[in-house]
Amino acid sequence: MKLEKIVVIGAGTMGSGIAQWFTQAGLRVTLVDSSETQLRKALSDIHDSWDKLVARGKLAGAESLKERLSISSLEATDPSADLVVEAIIENLEIKKGLFRKLDALFAPHTILASNTSSFPIAQMAEALSPSRKPKLLGLHFFNPATIMKLVEVIKGPDTDEALCHDLYRWFDERDKKPALCKDSPGFIVNRVARNFYGEPLRIVGNDANESLLREVDSVLREIGGFKMGPFELMDLIGIDVNYSVTCSVWEAYGREPRFTPHPLQKKLVDEKRFGRKSKRGFYTYD
Amino acid sequence: MTNVSFENYLLNFGFGTKEEKREILRANPEKIVVMDLSCYDPQDFYAEFTNLAGSFAALFCDEAKKIEVHFRERHDDILKKLIELGFKPLEVSIISCGFIFPRTIVQIINEAHFALEEGVAGREDINRAMRFGVNYPKGPFEWSAGRELFVRTLLEELLTKTQDKRYVASNLI
Repeated sequence: MKLEKIVVIGAGTMGSGIAQWFTQAGLRVTLVDSSETQLRKALSDIHDSWDKLVARGKLAGAESLKERLSISSLEATDPSADLVVEAIIENLEIKKGLFRKLDALFAPHTILASNTSSFPIAQMAEALSPSRKPKLLGLHFFNPATIMKLVEVIKGPDTDEALCHDLYRWFDERDKKPALCKDSPGFIVNRVARNFYGEPLRIVGNDANESLLREVDSVLREIGGFKMGPFELMDLIGIDVNYSVTCSVWEAYGREPRFTPHPLQKKLVDEKRFGRKSKRGFYTYD
Repeated sequence: MTNVSFENYLLNFGFGTKEEKREILRANPEKIVVMDLSCYDPQDFYAEFTNLAGSFAALFCDEAKKIEVHFRERHDDILKKLIELGFKPLEVSIISCGFIFPRTIVQIINEAHFALEEGVAGREDINRAMRFGVNYPKGPFEWSAGRELFVRTLLEELLTKTQDKRYVASNLI
Protein backbone atom coordinates (compact mmCIF):
# COMPACT_ATOMS: atom_id res chain seq x y z
CA MET A 1 0.00 0.00 0.00
CA LYS A 2 1.30 3.41 -0.94
CA LEU A 3 0.08 6.47 0.98
CA GLU A 4 1.57 9.84 0.13
CA LYS A 5 -1.01 12.56 0.69
CA ILE A 6 -3.20 12.65 3.79
CA VAL A 7 -5.94 15.03 4.85
CA VAL A 8 -6.90 15.22 8.52
CA ILE A 9 -10.16 16.97 9.29
CA GLY A 10 -10.55 18.56 12.71
CA ALA A 11 -7.76 20.60 14.31
CA GLY A 12 -8.64 19.75 17.91
CA THR A 13 -6.40 17.65 20.18
CA MET A 14 -6.92 14.38 18.32
CA GLY A 15 -6.85 15.78 14.79
CA SER A 16 -3.68 17.78 15.47
CA GLY A 17 -1.99 14.75 17.02
CA ILE A 18 -2.97 12.53 14.09
CA ALA A 19 -1.75 15.12 11.57
CA GLN A 20 1.54 15.45 13.47
CA TRP A 21 2.05 11.70 13.56
CA PHE A 22 1.38 11.20 9.83
CA THR A 23 3.79 14.03 9.02
CA GLN A 24 6.45 12.45 11.23
CA ALA A 25 5.77 9.17 9.41
CA GLY A 26 6.97 10.87 6.20
CA LEU A 27 3.70 11.81 4.52
CA ARG A 28 2.49 15.09 3.08
CA VAL A 29 -0.37 16.17 5.34
CA THR A 30 -3.08 18.82 5.11
CA LEU A 31 -4.90 19.73 8.31
CA VAL A 32 -8.41 21.03 7.73
CA ASP A 33 -10.83 22.80 10.07
CA SER A 34 -13.79 25.13 9.69
CA SER A 35 -12.10 27.59 12.06
CA GLU A 36 -9.03 29.34 10.68
CA THR A 37 -8.09 30.48 14.19
CA GLN A 38 -8.10 26.86 15.38
CA LEU A 39 -6.07 25.79 12.37
CA ARG A 40 -3.40 28.42 12.93
CA LYS A 41 -3.20 27.55 16.64
CA ALA A 42 -2.88 23.82 15.86
CA LEU A 43 -0.15 24.47 13.30
CA SER A 44 1.74 26.72 15.69
CA ASP A 45 1.46 24.13 18.50
CA ILE A 46 2.77 21.35 16.24
CA HIS A 47 5.67 23.54 15.07
CA ASP A 48 6.49 24.36 18.71
CA SER A 49 6.43 20.68 19.57
CA TRP A 50 8.91 19.88 16.77
CA ASP A 51 11.14 22.82 17.74
CA LYS A 52 11.26 21.52 21.32
CA LEU A 53 12.17 18.03 20.08
CA VAL A 54 14.98 19.53 18.00
CA ALA A 55 16.21 21.55 21.02
CA ARG A 56 16.27 18.37 23.12
CA GLY A 57 18.18 16.54 20.44
CA LYS A 58 15.35 14.10 19.77
CA LEU A 59 14.76 15.30 16.22
CA ALA A 60 17.49 16.15 13.70
CA GLY A 61 15.60 19.02 12.09
CA ALA A 62 12.07 20.33 11.82
CA GLU A 63 12.17 22.16 8.49
CA SER A 64 11.28 19.21 6.26
CA LEU A 65 8.43 18.30 8.62
CA LYS A 66 7.10 21.86 8.61
CA GLU A 67 7.31 21.90 4.82
CA ARG A 68 5.17 18.73 4.58
CA LEU A 69 2.38 19.92 6.89
CA SER A 70 -0.06 22.54 5.64
CA ILE A 71 -3.43 23.92 6.67
CA SER A 72 -6.43 24.50 4.45
CA SER A 73 -10.17 24.89 4.26
CA LEU A 74 -12.02 21.80 3.07
CA GLU A 75 -13.08 23.46 -0.17
CA ALA A 76 -9.48 24.40 -1.06
CA THR A 77 -7.99 20.99 -0.26
CA ASP A 78 -6.34 18.92 -2.96
CA PRO A 79 -9.01 16.31 -3.84
CA SER A 80 -6.46 13.69 -4.87
CA ALA A 81 -5.50 12.70 -1.29
CA ASP A 82 -4.92 8.98 -0.68
CA LEU A 83 -6.52 9.02 2.76
CA VAL A 84 -8.81 11.39 4.65
CA VAL A 85 -9.08 10.95 8.42
CA GLU A 86 -12.01 12.62 10.13
CA ALA A 87 -11.46 13.70 13.75
CA ILE A 88 -14.26 16.20 14.32
CA ILE A 89 -16.82 16.49 17.15
CA GLU A 90 -18.53 13.24 18.26
CA ASN A 91 -21.91 13.98 16.70
CA LEU A 92 -23.27 11.39 14.31
CA GLU A 93 -25.36 13.73 12.16
CA ILE A 94 -22.49 16.19 11.75
CA LYS A 95 -20.12 13.35 10.86
CA LYS A 96 -22.57 11.93 8.32
CA GLY A 97 -22.94 15.36 6.73
CA LEU A 98 -19.16 15.65 6.50
CA PHE A 99 -18.77 12.20 4.94
CA ARG A 100 -21.41 13.08 2.34
CA LYS A 101 -19.30 16.13 1.38
CA LEU A 102 -16.04 14.16 1.40
CA ASP A 103 -17.55 11.54 -0.88
CA ALA A 104 -18.45 14.22 -3.42
CA LEU A 105 -15.18 16.18 -3.10
CA PHE A 106 -12.47 13.54 -3.16
CA ALA A 107 -11.15 11.35 -5.95
CA PRO A 108 -12.60 7.85 -6.42
CA HIS A 109 -9.44 6.22 -5.02
CA THR A 110 -9.46 8.22 -1.74
CA ILE A 111 -9.89 6.14 1.42
CA LEU A 112 -12.14 7.75 4.05
CA ALA A 113 -11.60 7.02 7.75
CA SER A 114 -13.25 8.09 10.97
CA ASN A 115 -11.45 8.48 14.29
CA THR A 116 -14.76 8.04 16.12
CA SER A 117 -14.64 6.34 19.50
CA SER A 118 -18.37 5.83 19.79
CA PHE A 119 -20.30 5.65 16.53
CA PRO A 120 -20.66 2.60 14.30
CA ILE A 121 -18.84 2.88 11.00
CA ALA A 122 -21.97 1.33 9.44
CA GLN A 123 -24.01 4.42 10.34
CA MET A 124 -21.48 6.76 8.77
CA ALA A 125 -21.43 4.59 5.65
CA GLU A 126 -25.12 5.40 5.13
CA ALA A 127 -24.04 8.85 3.92
CA LEU A 128 -21.81 7.47 1.17
CA SER A 129 -22.31 6.41 -2.42
CA PRO A 130 -22.18 2.64 -3.07
CA SER A 131 -18.78 2.89 -4.77
CA ARG A 132 -17.22 4.66 -1.74
CA LYS A 133 -18.59 2.36 0.97
CA PRO A 134 -15.83 -0.28 0.58
CA LYS A 135 -13.30 2.54 1.13
CA LEU A 136 -14.70 3.69 4.49
CA LEU A 137 -13.26 2.33 7.74
CA GLY A 138 -12.51 3.36 11.30
CA LEU A 139 -8.99 4.40 12.33
CA HIS A 140 -9.22 5.00 16.06
CA PHE A 141 -6.11 6.70 17.44
CA PHE A 142 -5.42 7.21 21.14
CA ASN A 143 -4.42 10.44 22.82
CA PRO A 144 -1.69 11.65 22.50
CA ALA A 145 -1.59 10.24 18.99
CA THR A 146 2.14 10.92 18.56
CA ILE A 147 2.95 8.82 21.64
CA MET A 148 0.24 6.16 22.06
CA LYS A 149 1.05 3.30 19.71
CA LEU A 150 -2.37 1.79 19.19
CA VAL A 151 -4.57 2.34 16.15
CA GLU A 152 -7.79 0.33 16.09
CA VAL A 153 -8.43 -0.55 12.44
CA ILE A 154 -12.19 -0.98 12.28
CA LYS A 155 -13.85 -2.89 9.49
CA GLY A 156 -17.37 -1.70 8.76
CA PRO A 157 -19.90 -4.09 7.18
CA ASP A 158 -19.09 -2.82 3.67
CA THR A 159 -15.36 -2.14 4.13
CA ASP A 160 -13.05 -3.96 1.76
CA GLU A 161 -11.31 -6.55 3.93
CA ALA A 162 -8.08 -6.32 1.91
CA LEU A 163 -7.98 -2.57 2.58
CA CYS A 164 -8.10 -3.21 6.35
CA HIS A 165 -5.27 -5.72 6.13
CA ASP A 166 -3.20 -3.39 3.94
CA LEU A 167 -3.62 -0.51 6.40
CA TYR A 168 -2.86 -2.84 9.31
CA ARG A 169 0.45 -3.74 7.67
CA TRP A 170 1.13 -0.12 6.77
CA PHE A 171 0.80 1.01 10.40
CA ASP A 172 2.67 -2.03 11.68
CA GLU A 173 5.66 -1.04 9.55
CA ARG A 174 5.63 2.53 10.92
CA ASP A 175 5.99 2.54 14.69
CA LYS A 176 2.27 1.96 15.39
CA LYS A 177 0.62 -1.09 16.92
CA PRO A 178 -2.55 -1.69 14.92
CA ALA A 179 -5.37 -3.92 16.17
CA LEU A 180 -7.94 -5.15 13.72
CA CYS A 181 -11.51 -5.22 14.97
CA LYS A 182 -15.12 -5.45 13.96
CA ASP A 183 -17.50 -2.50 13.93
CA SER A 184 -18.95 -3.07 17.39
CA PRO A 185 -19.73 -0.64 20.25
CA GLY A 186 -16.61 0.59 22.04
CA PHE A 187 -14.50 -1.42 19.55
CA ILE A 188 -11.84 -3.15 21.71
CA VAL A 189 -10.39 -0.70 24.21
CA ASN A 190 -13.45 1.29 25.23
CA ARG A 191 -15.30 -1.96 25.76
CA VAL A 192 -12.72 -4.13 27.55
CA ALA A 193 -11.52 -1.25 29.75
CA ARG A 194 -14.99 -0.52 31.19
CA ASN A 195 -14.52 -2.89 34.10
CA PHE A 196 -11.23 -1.32 35.13
CA TYR A 197 -13.53 1.42 36.43
CA GLY A 198 -16.79 -0.45 37.05
CA GLU A 199 -15.43 -3.18 39.29
CA PRO A 200 -13.41 -0.97 41.66
CA LEU A 201 -16.51 1.23 42.00
CA ARG A 202 -18.43 -1.84 43.15
CA ILE A 203 -15.65 -2.83 45.55
CA VAL A 204 -15.73 0.54 47.34
CA GLY A 205 -19.51 1.02 47.04
CA ASN A 206 -21.55 4.19 47.27
CA ASP A 207 -20.03 5.58 50.45
CA ALA A 208 -16.38 5.34 49.49
CA ASN A 209 -14.08 7.45 51.61
CA GLU A 210 -10.72 8.73 50.43
CA SER A 211 -8.67 6.10 52.25
CA LEU A 212 -10.58 3.27 50.52
CA LEU A 213 -10.13 4.92 47.12
CA ARG A 214 -6.41 5.34 47.77
CA GLU A 215 -6.13 1.72 48.85
CA VAL A 216 -7.77 0.43 45.65
CA ASP A 217 -5.64 2.75 43.48
CA SER A 218 -2.53 1.61 45.30
CA VAL A 219 -3.30 -2.14 44.95
CA LEU A 220 -4.01 -1.82 41.23
CA ARG A 221 -0.80 0.14 40.69
CA GLU A 222 1.43 -1.94 42.96
CA ILE A 223 0.05 -5.41 42.33
CA GLY A 224 -1.69 -5.01 38.98
CA GLY A 225 1.14 -2.98 37.46
CA PHE A 226 -1.25 -0.37 36.05
CA LYS A 227 0.32 3.07 35.60
CA MET A 228 -2.58 4.73 37.45
CA GLY A 229 -5.33 3.45 39.72
CA PRO A 230 -8.92 3.63 38.46
CA PHE A 231 -10.02 6.55 40.64
CA GLU A 232 -7.03 8.75 39.92
CA LEU A 233 -7.39 7.88 36.23
CA MET A 234 -11.11 8.73 36.16
CA ASP A 235 -10.25 12.06 37.81
CA LEU A 236 -7.67 12.70 35.06
CA ILE A 237 -9.91 11.64 32.14
CA GLY A 238 -12.92 13.47 33.57
CA ILE A 239 -15.61 11.59 35.50
CA ASP A 240 -18.23 13.11 33.16
CA VAL A 241 -16.35 11.85 30.08
CA ASN A 242 -15.86 8.39 31.56
CA TYR A 243 -19.51 8.20 32.67
CA SER A 244 -20.67 9.25 29.21
CA VAL A 245 -18.58 6.51 27.51
CA THR A 246 -19.90 3.95 30.02
CA CYS A 247 -23.51 4.97 29.34
CA SER A 248 -22.93 4.92 25.60
CA VAL A 249 -21.45 1.38 25.65
CA TRP A 250 -24.16 0.20 28.07
CA GLU A 251 -26.96 1.53 25.81
CA ALA A 252 -25.30 0.21 22.66
CA TYR A 253 -25.23 -3.30 24.17
CA GLY A 254 -28.91 -3.14 25.15
CA ARG A 255 -28.16 -2.29 28.80
CA GLU A 256 -26.01 -5.38 29.26
CA PRO A 257 -25.39 -5.73 33.05
CA ARG A 258 -21.60 -5.95 32.59
CA PHE A 259 -21.57 -2.31 31.49
CA THR A 260 -24.08 -0.87 33.95
CA PRO A 261 -22.85 2.53 35.17
CA HIS A 262 -22.32 2.79 38.92
CA PRO A 263 -24.59 5.20 40.87
CA LEU A 264 -21.51 6.94 42.32
CA GLN A 265 -20.46 8.04 38.81
CA LYS A 266 -23.81 9.75 38.24
CA LYS A 267 -23.79 11.27 41.72
CA LEU A 268 -20.38 12.87 41.15
CA VAL A 269 -21.39 14.16 37.72
CA ASP A 270 -24.61 15.63 39.17
CA GLU A 271 -22.52 17.36 41.83
CA LYS A 272 -20.20 18.67 39.08
CA ARG A 273 -17.30 16.79 40.60
CA PHE A 274 -15.66 16.00 37.27
CA GLY A 275 -12.15 15.30 38.55
CA ARG A 276 -8.98 17.33 38.12
CA LYS A 277 -10.53 19.81 35.71
CA SER A 278 -13.08 20.94 38.35
CA LYS A 279 -10.60 20.43 41.22
CA ARG A 280 -12.92 17.89 42.83
CA GLY A 281 -13.71 14.36 41.79
CA PHE A 282 -12.99 11.21 43.72
CA TYR A 283 -10.16 13.26 45.23
CA THR A 284 -9.78 16.97 45.92
CA TYR A 285 -7.11 19.02 44.13
CA ASP A 286 -5.77 22.41 45.23
CA MET B 1 -2.72 -26.90 47.59
CA THR B 2 0.45 -26.57 49.64
CA ASN B 3 0.71 -26.08 53.38
CA VAL B 4 3.62 -24.42 55.16
CA SER B 5 3.69 -24.95 58.94
CA PHE B 6 5.92 -23.08 61.38
CA GLU B 7 5.56 -22.57 65.14
CA ASN B 8 1.80 -22.62 65.71
CA TYR B 9 1.02 -21.15 62.29
CA LEU B 10 -0.19 -22.74 59.08
CA LEU B 11 -0.02 -21.04 55.72
CA ASN B 12 -2.17 -22.59 52.99
CA PHE B 13 -1.28 -21.82 49.35
CA GLY B 14 -2.86 -22.66 46.03
CA PHE B 15 -6.25 -23.31 44.55
CA GLY B 16 -8.83 -25.49 46.29
CA THR B 17 -12.59 -25.77 46.32
CA LYS B 18 -14.39 -24.05 49.16
CA GLU B 19 -14.91 -27.43 50.79
CA GLU B 20 -11.22 -28.30 50.47
CA LYS B 21 -10.32 -24.97 52.08
CA ARG B 22 -12.81 -25.63 54.89
CA GLU B 23 -11.33 -29.09 55.42
CA ILE B 24 -7.87 -27.56 56.02
CA LEU B 25 -9.37 -25.26 58.65
CA ARG B 26 -11.32 -28.08 60.30
CA ALA B 27 -8.26 -30.34 60.39
CA ASN B 28 -6.09 -27.71 62.11
CA PRO B 29 -8.15 -26.29 64.97
CA GLU B 30 -5.05 -25.70 67.13
CA LYS B 31 -3.21 -23.75 64.42
CA ILE B 32 -3.42 -20.10 63.51
CA VAL B 33 -4.24 -20.34 59.80
CA VAL B 34 -3.77 -17.82 57.00
CA MET B 35 -4.84 -19.05 53.56
CA ASP B 36 -5.13 -18.13 49.92
CA LEU B 37 -8.75 -17.21 49.31
CA SER B 38 -8.25 -15.45 45.96
CA CYS B 39 -11.44 -16.92 44.49
CA TYR B 40 -13.74 -16.59 47.49
CA ASP B 41 -15.10 -14.15 50.06
CA PRO B 42 -12.84 -14.31 53.13
CA GLN B 43 -15.65 -12.95 55.28
CA ASP B 44 -17.61 -16.18 54.81
CA PHE B 45 -14.64 -18.13 56.15
CA TYR B 46 -13.94 -15.67 59.00
CA ALA B 47 -17.54 -16.09 60.13
CA GLU B 48 -17.19 -19.86 60.18
CA PHE B 49 -13.67 -20.44 61.53
CA THR B 50 -12.08 -18.72 64.50
CA ASN B 51 -8.66 -20.25 63.70
CA LEU B 52 -8.52 -18.30 60.40
CA ALA B 53 -6.47 -15.20 61.26
CA GLY B 54 -6.16 -13.82 57.77
CA SER B 55 -6.23 -14.44 54.05
CA PHE B 56 -4.35 -13.48 50.93
CA ALA B 57 -4.70 -13.48 47.14
CA ALA B 58 -1.74 -15.07 45.39
CA LEU B 59 -3.38 -17.00 42.54
CA PHE B 60 -3.31 -14.04 40.17
CA CYS B 61 0.09 -12.64 41.09
CA ASP B 62 2.86 -12.56 38.50
CA GLU B 63 6.59 -13.18 38.81
CA ALA B 64 6.91 -10.11 41.06
CA LYS B 65 4.87 -12.10 43.64
CA LYS B 66 3.10 -9.04 45.03
CA ILE B 67 0.00 -10.12 46.92
CA GLU B 68 -2.87 -8.59 48.89
CA VAL B 69 -2.98 -9.76 52.50
CA HIS B 70 -5.84 -9.14 54.90
CA PHE B 71 -5.62 -9.85 58.62
CA ARG B 72 -8.46 -10.33 61.02
CA GLU B 73 -5.75 -10.47 63.68
CA ARG B 74 -2.39 -9.11 62.55
CA HIS B 75 0.57 -11.50 62.89
CA ASP B 76 3.99 -10.06 62.02
CA ASP B 77 5.47 -13.57 61.97
CA ILE B 78 3.20 -14.48 59.09
CA LEU B 79 4.20 -11.40 57.12
CA LYS B 80 7.86 -12.25 57.74
CA LYS B 81 7.29 -15.82 56.55
CA LEU B 82 5.53 -14.65 53.38
CA ILE B 83 8.50 -12.39 52.65
CA GLU B 84 10.90 -15.27 53.34
CA LEU B 85 8.96 -17.31 50.80
CA GLY B 86 9.56 -14.63 48.18
CA PHE B 87 6.24 -12.79 48.35
CA LYS B 88 5.83 -9.03 48.62
CA PRO B 89 2.72 -8.67 50.77
CA LEU B 90 0.62 -5.53 50.60
CA GLU B 91 -1.67 -5.33 53.61
CA VAL B 92 -5.21 -4.24 52.76
CA SER B 93 -8.13 -3.19 54.92
CA ILE B 94 -10.81 -3.77 52.27
CA ILE B 95 -12.14 -7.28 52.34
CA SER B 96 -14.20 -8.20 49.34
CA CYS B 97 -14.99 -11.40 47.45
CA GLY B 98 -11.93 -11.81 45.23
CA PHE B 99 -10.02 -9.04 47.04
CA ILE B 100 -9.21 -5.99 44.84
CA PHE B 101 -6.84 -7.07 42.06
CA PRO B 102 -8.29 -10.53 41.29
CA ARG B 103 -11.84 -9.18 41.27
CA THR B 104 -10.95 -6.36 38.89
CA ILE B 105 -8.75 -8.41 36.60
CA VAL B 106 -11.24 -11.28 36.17
CA GLN B 107 -13.82 -8.81 34.93
CA ILE B 108 -11.36 -7.39 32.38
CA ILE B 109 -10.45 -10.95 31.34
CA ASN B 110 -14.12 -11.91 31.09
CA GLU B 111 -14.93 -8.97 28.82
CA ALA B 112 -11.97 -9.79 26.59
CA HIS B 113 -13.32 -13.35 26.25
CA PHE B 114 -16.80 -12.05 25.39
CA ALA B 115 -15.26 -9.82 22.70
CA LEU B 116 -13.37 -12.84 21.34
CA GLU B 117 -16.51 -15.01 21.53
CA GLU B 118 -18.45 -12.39 19.52
CA GLY B 119 -15.70 -12.16 16.90
CA VAL B 120 -14.91 -8.51 17.63
CA ALA B 121 -11.17 -9.22 17.38
CA GLY B 122 -8.62 -11.98 17.83
CA ARG B 123 -6.64 -12.72 21.01
CA GLU B 124 -3.48 -11.00 19.80
CA ASP B 125 -5.34 -7.89 18.65
CA ILE B 126 -7.16 -7.63 21.99
CA ASN B 127 -3.93 -8.06 23.95
CA ARG B 128 -2.20 -5.50 21.77
CA ALA B 129 -5.08 -3.01 22.00
CA MET B 130 -5.08 -3.04 25.80
CA ARG B 131 -1.29 -2.87 26.09
CA PHE B 132 -0.77 -0.08 23.59
CA GLY B 133 -4.08 1.81 23.81
CA VAL B 134 -4.33 2.15 27.57
CA ASN B 135 -0.86 1.02 28.66
CA TYR B 136 -1.97 -2.15 30.50
CA PRO B 137 1.14 -4.03 31.61
CA LYS B 138 -0.24 -7.22 30.04
CA GLY B 139 -3.01 -8.12 27.65
CA PRO B 140 -6.10 -9.82 29.14
CA PHE B 141 -5.24 -13.18 27.58
CA GLU B 142 -1.68 -12.98 28.90
CA TRP B 143 -3.14 -12.49 32.38
CA SER B 144 -5.57 -15.36 32.06
CA ALA B 145 -3.20 -17.91 30.53
CA GLY B 146 -3.14 -20.95 32.82
CA ARG B 147 -5.54 -19.28 35.27
CA GLU B 148 -8.86 -20.02 33.53
CA LEU B 149 -10.03 -22.20 36.43
CA PHE B 150 -9.40 -19.40 38.94
CA VAL B 151 -11.12 -16.84 36.69
CA ARG B 152 -14.22 -19.01 36.26
CA THR B 153 -14.36 -19.94 39.95
CA LEU B 154 -14.18 -16.31 41.08
CA LEU B 155 -16.79 -15.19 38.55
CA GLU B 156 -19.13 -17.99 39.68
CA GLU B 157 -18.57 -17.04 43.31
CA LEU B 158 -19.31 -13.36 42.59
CA LEU B 159 -22.44 -14.34 40.65
CA THR B 160 -23.66 -16.60 43.47
CA LYS B 161 -23.03 -13.99 46.14
CA THR B 162 -24.42 -10.94 44.32
CA GLN B 163 -26.93 -12.53 41.90
CA ASP B 164 -25.75 -9.78 39.53
CA LYS B 165 -25.60 -10.95 35.91
CA ARG B 166 -22.55 -8.76 35.30
CA TYR B 167 -20.56 -11.73 36.63
CA VAL B 168 -21.84 -14.32 34.15
CA ALA B 169 -18.74 -15.88 32.60
CA SER B 170 -18.03 -16.06 28.88
CA ASN B 171 -18.37 -19.55 27.40
CA LEU B 172 -14.73 -19.35 26.33
CA ILE B 173 -13.39 -19.30 29.90
